[in-house]
Amino acid sequence: MNELELMAVTEENMMDEREQIIDHLMHEYSDDILHLAYTYVKNRTTAEDLTQEIFIKCYEKLNQFNQQATMKTWLYRIAINHCKDYLKSWHYRKIMLNDKILDWIPSKSTHVEKEIITKIEENSLTDAVMNLPLKYREIVYLHYYEELPLAEISKITSVNINTIKTRLKRAKELLKDRMIKEV
Amino acid sequence: MNDPLMKLKNSMKKTVFKDFSFSDERKNAVKEAIRSNQSQQQYNTWKAETIMAVLGSVQQQPMQGYDISIQLFQKGELIFQNNEGQLYTLLHLLENKEILTSSWSDNKKHYALTPKGKKYLAAYKQDNSHQPVSLKHLLEEASLWAQQNLKNF
Repeated sequence: MNELELMAVTEENMMDEREQIIDHLMHEYSDDILHLAYTYVKNRTTAEDLTQEIFIKCYEKLNQFNQQATMKTWLYRIAINHCKDYLKSWHYRKIMLNDKILDWIPSKSTHVEKEIITKIEENSLTDAVMNLPLKYREIVYLHYYEELPLAEISKITSVNINTIKTRLKRAKELLKDRMIKEV
Repeated sequence: MNDPLMKLKNSMKKTVFKDFSFSDERKNAVKEAIRSNQSQQQYNTWKAETIMAVLGSVQQQPMQGYDISIQLFQKGELIFQNNEGQLYTLLHLLENKEILTSSWSDNKKHYALTPKGKKYLAAYKQDNSHQPVSLKHLLEEASLWAQQNLKNF
């Protein structure tokens, strides 16, 4: 085997290794990332599309991963940035928002009744959190759903830890107001 | 103090996240995308030396692709050996990036350096120890451009 062939083989192995890492990450975190994406975009199909893109992005950026952060932190950072980019995108602002307006028009369909029932059962807290402005929603989600420590959230979102504390406090106030109004 | 948000996890699991997981089809789609990405990258990343060898060969006078390939071969740049088509891909790319310009004579396309191309070449020669930043940028752009082009096919 000459040197060139040898290089080609190691290259191939490296490719394999990167693929394996993504495979592992998907196995471990794909549902978490999917749910995380959902809290940003509030649409299941979009969340699935974004999750798919996020893992592809990770693969492409794998060589930029430095060992300073854990792989999970790194993955979450990519995911959050990707979701935010999507919310800023032309497609979302022009097309998805139009769909959203349609949602506001009251529907006459039968699942209205079903909707109301589920709402009464479980939904109110989830609903209230999902309707928080993004900057509060993400922190509430990461802290209470993902159960991440504030320091970790700070790393993931690049938001100062004191700002996070303030937002968390403010989020709780907002939630309290909304829950009271609902009852 | 009883924090109502402690119930959030349970509440979300029972509502918005109910029966909502990343399916195997989706996972396979990711894997497929990764694989096709791999094959693209193998063909579309150029070494700085290769690009500079191409620029170097048209430095004196405009040349057609075939003559460039002969020159490269004589210089010991063997990357296009048995793979001449890739040279034309690279030439198109460099033309697109306004590093090279082309003109037709005798029904043949002749490539020459643009002022931008001359700058790249000069910068590279001056600083052979490490890649000029602009070139690194170009290389990244080059592989991106090639990827996008492939997607359109």
